[in-house]
Amino acid sequence: MALRPKNISLFERLRENSQLEFEKMKEAGIKVVGLYCIFAPKELVRASGAIPVGLCGKNQSPLSDAETVLPVNLCPLIKSSFGYAITDTCDYFGFSDFLIGETTCDGKKKMFELLKRIKPLFLMHLPPTSDGDRSLNYWVEEIVRLKDFLETQTGTKITEKELKHQIKLHNNKRILLKEIVSLCTEYPVPISGLDMMLVMECKGFSAELEDYVNALQELAHELKVIKRKGRSVCSPEAPRILLTGCPIGKGSEKVLRLIEECGGIVTCQENCTGIKSFDRLVDEDGDPYRSIASRYLKIPCSCMTPNQGRIDLLGRLVEDFKIQGVVDLTWHCCHTYNVESYLIKEFLEKEYQIPLLHIETDYSLTDTGQLKTRIEAFLEMLY
Amino acid sequence: MSEDYKSMWENLGLDLAAHDALLEVLGKGYQDIYLAQKNRPEGMGYFDFVMSEIHGLRIKELMDEKAAGRKVIGSFCVFVPEEIVRATDATLVGLCTGADFAMEEVERLLPRNTCSLIKSAFGFNLAKVCPYMECSDMIVGENTCDGKKKSYEILNDLVPNLYVMDLPQVKSAEGKALLKAEYLRFKEAVEKLTGITIDADRLKKGTKMVNNKRKAIHRLSNLRKANPAPISGLDALLANQVFFYDDPVRFTDSVNKVCDELEARIEKKEGVVPKATPRILISGCPMAVPNWKLPWIIETAGAVIVGEESCVGERGTRNLTDDSGNTLDELMEAVVDRYFKVDCAIFTPNPDRLDHIVEMVEKYQADGVIHYGLQFCQPYLMEAMPVEKALEAKNIPTLRIDTDYSMEDVGQLRTRVEAFIELIK
Repeated sequence: MALRPKNISLFERLRENSQLEFEKMKEAGIKVVGLYCIFAPKELVRASGAIPVGLCGKNQSPLSDAETVLPVNLCPLIKSSFGYAITDTCDYFGFSDFLIGETTCDGKKKMFELLKRIKPLFLMHLPPTSDGDRSLNYWVEEIVRLKDFLETQTGTKITEKELKHQIKLHNNKRILLKEIVSLCTEYPVPISGLDMMLVMECKGFSAELEDYVNALQELAHELKVIKRKGRSVCSPEAPRILLTGCPIGKGSEKVLRLIEECGGIVTCQENCTGIKSFDRLVDEDGDPYRSIASRYLKIPCSCMTPNQGRIDLLGRLVEDFKIQGVVDLTWHCCHTYNVESYLIKEFLEKEYQIPLLHIETDYSLTDTGQLKTRIEAFLEMLY
Repeated sequence: MSEDYKSMWENLGLDLAAHDALLEVLGKGYQDIYLAQKNRPEGMGYFDFVMSEIHGLRIKELMDEKAAGRKVIGSFCVFVPEEIVRATDATLVGLCTGADFAMEEVERLLPRNTCSLIKSAFGFNLAKVCPYMECSDMIVGENTCDGKKKSYEILNDLVPNLYVMDLPQVKSAEGKALLKAEYLRFKEAVEKLTGITIDADRLKKGTKMVNNKRKAIHRLSNLRKANPAPISGLDALLANQVFFYDDPVRFTDSVNKVCDELEARIEKKEGVVPKATPRILISGCPMAVPNWKLPWIIETAGAVIVGEESCVGERGTRNLTDDSGNTLDELMEAVVDRYFKVDCAIFTPNPDRLDHIVEMVEKYQADGVIHYGLQFCQPYLMEAMPVEKALEAKNIPTLRIDTDYSMEDVGQLRTRVEAFIELIK
């Protein structure tokens, strides 16, 4: 892909400078909170004066160390996260004063039992279903419990004013991200899926929210210019692909990379790295804790049963992005996404006549050849 | 089996050819594993009879109950409160989940790397060979582990009467409130199904009935403390398995009869095996009929199993429900209290389980623990290594086994189990 927006460099720089920024924060006595999942409310963390950081779990390298304690039949994301922690090879883990975990899936839930031996961990209890007032009330209590924990850890009282301010800032970030992805709904497509992943992933390790938002603004402006000029990162014929399923990031982007190397264009990423994490805003009026709880509980993660929200979101996205094919990525042994794939395939075929390619893989590159063949055959079908 | 059953099975919508094939395998397995044992208590004859009629006479009894207006409720898990079901004169039965069946069809719906137990439930349904499922007026699923929770979304399209119950994952006050709310919702659903309103008397009666069943199992477990062991682990496991199927009153009597016999054996210092036989405690995932693979390997390798820390075993039966309350609220609260104690690995953290394993090792004078994990069962596999480490720190030899329902690994398992038994001798 010849065309590359030059402002991508802003995000590359953010990533490169990120560690330095966190070091500065630490020196200034600011608390750093390690996060593993998008269910952790960042506006609440920021309102306590602490800085949230998304922790590493996207690399193959610490897996073998993790497997000395964890079962082999566990998803690579959990093994990677845990491996980084026990080998002390993730700087962000080192920076973190404490961690926030969630009872999303069995694997994470049980892994956190071991992780909390290494570092203080606050475990948020998710209800098994997102429907109904009872679940919401349960989750509101968890958010308030987290508030109390953050206040104790940071020694800062979270004021309603500051929380509302943070909600606004985080909503602005979400609006900008939505604006950027909406530039990819049709040809010309001004940014590749791979670059878009970098842009989206950067939100997890930008110490200063403002720097990230500024970079987004610059990028949005540039992409609009590119689009106005009719320039595109792909040909008009390139099949438009939606990538859904388990989260990806630098180090675990192999499926996304292969789709684009094989001539497809990933215009939409529905996963936790992508749209799922910024699709909904927090209501800026009303009780901020309830508004936060309500927004986060609606994240359509496969850990919820039933998970109609994901079906609804996918239906909307395949329409908005004029999607021709869906690739559903399941990390090996992630039961919830793996089982749900059947229901997603059935829905897309029935309602939209859109084919779904289900890929179950791990972080290793041993199956690259085989994946390439399957992806090529899938794209071939879409031309 | 008689022609009567054929027409009953046909009416239930079973696939007769597939069902015959299943019964043949089941019968042969039972012959080779159970009837080949030596020195069995005579009272086990009742259980042999139950097993020979598990899809026959027992189903006919359930059909008769249905004809008399009572309901049958099927369940997959020990978190479904039997007290509430019995309070409406309905019967709770465990659904078939102990053998691979129709795997090719199952894997079209579920991921290949789903645990055998979940796949088995689907296989029995898809192949139409589980009369318990077919005769159930309500099938209760429960959101325990990820695999089950998500599979029920798919099972919902396969059966007309699935009811799904939420469960907490943390033993906090909020978790308990969630369990209570779910049990109240379940109570209403059962009342609606049966047309019977549960009052204090009914719940008390139901609770006593279930408690009696548990007490009989407690009596059996206590007798297994004796050395030499008076009963094989396989036979004791069978009693724990039949616990989920049989008429509760008849079951209670039959277990007590076996216990009378065992007491006489102990009195005479007789055992089912010699005194020096290594004693094993099994801990981990449940073993549903006819999943006898690992106990069979252990007991034919020269050891005897003296306890099961399992849902089909002490985890499922050890706690009684307090039946002293006089109001419906008190009795319901007692039901919630009782089930909230179940130390399933879906809870985080789950320290009671480790304590219980250690307690069982001491109580039953076990020489070693075999941790049994079903492949892809993340909650138990995740606990396996910490449990192993903790037990070995207490000098309790532990062997960790991950397996499934297939027979492909029998040779390999046998080698590992024999080596372990050799070690603890």
